[in-house]
Amino acid sequence: METIALIIDNKKISCPPGTSILEAAQQNGIKIPTLCYHPDLKPFGACRLCLVEDENTGRLMASCVTPVAPNMSIRTDSPDIKRHRRNIVRLMMAEHPESCIVCNKGNRCQLRAIAAQLGIGETKLYSMPNYKPLEQANEFIVRDLSKCILCGKCIRADHELVVVGAIDYNHRGFISRPATVHEQPLEKSNCIFCGTCVSLCPTGALSPKTEYYVGTPERESRSVCGFCGVGCSVTMGVVGDQIAEVSPSHVRTSVNGSTLCVRGHFPHEFLKAERLTQPLLRKDGEPAPASWEESLEIVSTRILDIRKQYGPQSVAFIGSSECNNEEAYLFQKIARVLVETNNVDNPRAAYTQAVLRRIDEKTNGRCRKNPLARLENGDAVFILNADPGEMNTVASFYLKRGSRKGVSLVMANPVRTELTAFSSAFLEIRPQSEFELIKGIGALLYEEQATENGCASPEMQQRSLFSDTDLDKVCQAAGVNMDSLKQAANVLRGKKVSVVTGDEIMLAENGAETVNALLELMAMTQSLGKEDTGFYVLAKACNETGAYDMGLLPDALPGRQLLSDDSARKHWEDTWKVRLSPDQGLSAVRMIEEAEKGNLKALYILRENPFEILPDPDRVRKALENLDFMVVQDIFPGELTEMADVVLPGAAFFEKGGSFTNMEGRIQVFEPVVSPPGEARQDWEILGHLTAKLGHSEPYDSVEKIKQEIARVIPMYSEDGRTYGDWIR
Amino acid sequence: MDEEILTEEALILNDIRSHLTTFEKERGNLIPILQMIQEKHAYIPREAIKLVAEYLEIPVCEVYGVATFYNQFRFHPPGKYPIKVCLGTACHVRSGDIILENFERKLEIKEGETTPDREFSIERVACVGCCALAPVAIVGETVHGHMAPSKVEGLLLRIRIEKEKQEREKLTISGNN
Repeated sequence: METIALIIDNKKISCPPGTSILEAAQQNGIKIPTLCYHPDLKPFGACRLCLVEDENTGRLMASCVTPVAPNMSIRTDSPDIKRHRRNIVRLMMAEHPESCIVCNKGNRCQLRAIAAQLGIGETKLYSMPNYKPLEQANEFIVRDLSKCILCGKCIRADHELVVVGAIDYNHRGFISRPATVHEQPLEKSNCIFCGTCVSLCPTGALSPKTEYYVGTPERESRSVCGFCGVGCSVTMGVVGDQIAEVSPSHVRTSVNGSTLCVRGHFPHEFLKAERLTQPLLRKDGEPAPASWEESLEIVSTRILDIRKQYGPQSVAFIGSSECNNEEAYLFQKIARVLVETNNVDNPRAAYTQAVLRRIDEKTNGRCRKNPLARLENGDAVFILNADPGEMNTVASFYLKRGSRKGVSLVMANPVRTELTAFSSAFLEIRPQSEFELIKGIGALLYEEQATENGCASPEMQQRSLFSDTDLDKVCQAAGVNMDSLKQAANVLRGKKVSVVTGDEIMLAENGAETVNALLELMAMTQSLGKEDTGFYVLAKACNETGAYDMGLLPDALPGRQLLSDDSARKHWEDTWKVRLSPDQGLSAVRMIEEAEKGNLKALYILRENPFEILPDPDRVRKALENLDFMVVQDIFPGELTEMADVVLPGAAFFEKGGSFTNMEGRIQVFEPVVSPPGEARQDWEILGHLTAKLGHSEPYDSVEKIKQEIARVIPMYSEDGRTYGDWIR
Repeated sequence: MDEEILTEEALILNDIRSHLTTFEKERGNLIPILQMIQEKHAYIPREAIKLVAEYLEIPVCEVYGVATFYNQFRFHPPGKYPIKVCLGTACHVRSGDIILENFERKLEIKEGETTPDREFSIERVACVGCCALAPVAIVGETVHGHMAPSKVEGLLLRIRIEKEKQEREKLTISGNN
């Protein structure tokens, strides 16, 4: 490959053409100060701090926007350059208000850091601060534009990364600022409060609105956001034992890059909410504080007693797709190995997991890894009855960026969403008519291919699903007109198609067929299992994929193996050294039914709220009242904890270690950022103690041990690395 | 009056809509479009910014950013009596800025804006070429030399009285008919 040779600070360097001088320097360990440069944004050349000098010509150039040229001889810190840099910073400081002492940006202010480095304490210029009113009416972002240095990072983040277009420079010269249309406050603009601009702002002009603390947090820790299935990599700033702020982590390969969404960036309510801080035992009808030892003792003896008296089928376990992998694995192991029942479920993600299972069956597990980056760099994306902007905001950024780059989006949804404006074709379909619609689009594409090849190839003939479709019927059923259907098919024609959908397609009676049809569509366009396409199922909870992988289901074993599969069951019987019943356990809905009948006696609920996710809360309440014994392990008090016989206080995602498997199939490991409040414990720890009480010989005394067991026994997870150390962070 | 303004704005927007289609949907046409609107209607209404953005399929804030960058674009309709306060060198030295401030205070609008009844608008100009009369303000077509802050109120009052008188006459004429 062609390279360009040049000299930077007397160091001989060669790099590919098109590299900027700044990048070339950075790659070779030469530091050039910058304020407006960010690797995720297009270079802009606004701050002029990265000035360098070409010794051959004496020219000064902004290194971030100047590509390398042969025989350049660059100086990055000649006295002349330094003088210029100092002047630039002096001018910025002269316009800057003297508020560093009370500024929330504190030690993270890049302007201050550079001024300090250049030794600019006094500007010796006439101070002309450009006071603007503080904008802080909204709940999330405080804008103090008098501190703005016009680097344009917020504007570029808004346009390039999250593609919203809420702000741009207004006016010009001294009074120019990043502003919304007609200088309206942010909350009156189309800002989505993702906070990406806040974490990129080099000064205190943009800061998160926080009530707990002003200034630099005492320490920072990495974690993975647990508010949706994307699993963004975050850095949490901690003060004492309190999370003061959240920002995207600096890991370059993370799923979210420099972006986050409003839920992950500003989890105020979650952090402020009242928490369960100690175990509660029902004594004389009232929940009373108890010790861990006593509570766990009661849980284990009562469960064992009930099993002895009524059989293992009288005990059931409801887990959650918000549990991390270690908890989910341990929870189902308690059920299957120690209580010997398959009554274990995670009802929240039932539909998503049903879609995943279909895909897995049809593709033989070849479609488990779907990096979101493919949405941005692929050919075409078909979005079917899903609203990524609402459910998995960061995934929607990929789609919007892709659309700007020329990826064709075809969207079929019962309602218009934010992504409609980015779509090349939008079909406003009737609810639950997805199957017909796919058939229609498939038929239009099939027809074309069949006629193109002269006659249908044998391979094509097999795809009978699309071969005799009545298009008029399709249009009628889906409530779309023929022209728009044809337009949608035209957009997809000849392209590799990725699919984005949600769990709502499973609400229709023919939900399973819909998934099949989508897979057929992908197969027909030669898009299935390819390097640049994917089948994306939006995930509301943070570990929907992981809960499925860990076998937190009544009819599946860890590693996505079916309970009814004899060889799989044999494998797990050997691994766990127990006998496993081939009979499918109770699903959450069936558990409620059995509790109503009085057949189910004990229920252990881990991080789930049956009133919220199961239909008919009144019926659920009555059924739960009918139980002999109920354990609730959760983090928030509520109706459910009041009904429970034993309440075990667990930890929020940032208070525990473990791993989540996100909607891409990426396994992400995280450590606790702070400790759980009061006597609350990490959930794996509680479950680990319980396994010992229930008679498991080997103690689970560290989360590491569970991780290693998972990596050892679940093929999918050992493929990703012999040790968990290779799991993606 | 309000209704009159509303229908007038609706007419303007309709007119803009019909003229937009004569432009190709290209980003580069943003400034020509804005110039067309300004030329035809003497200002760029708020809603028009949105129309242009939708037509060119670019963010609204970008249109706003470009429009505010150039001094040639106005965002308020000119008043019936446009007030131009000179802040050229001579007028500046004779405290033209205080005259401007007084107009702003009396009319309760800022420089560049128009009163809600669209009677007055205020603008600052660089020099009107009669420095000997500094400080100078131009109201409508009339040049007022040797302005003083104390003269501002009287000036505005005179225009208002004049207007009321005209309206009364109009009424009597139509009454006689």
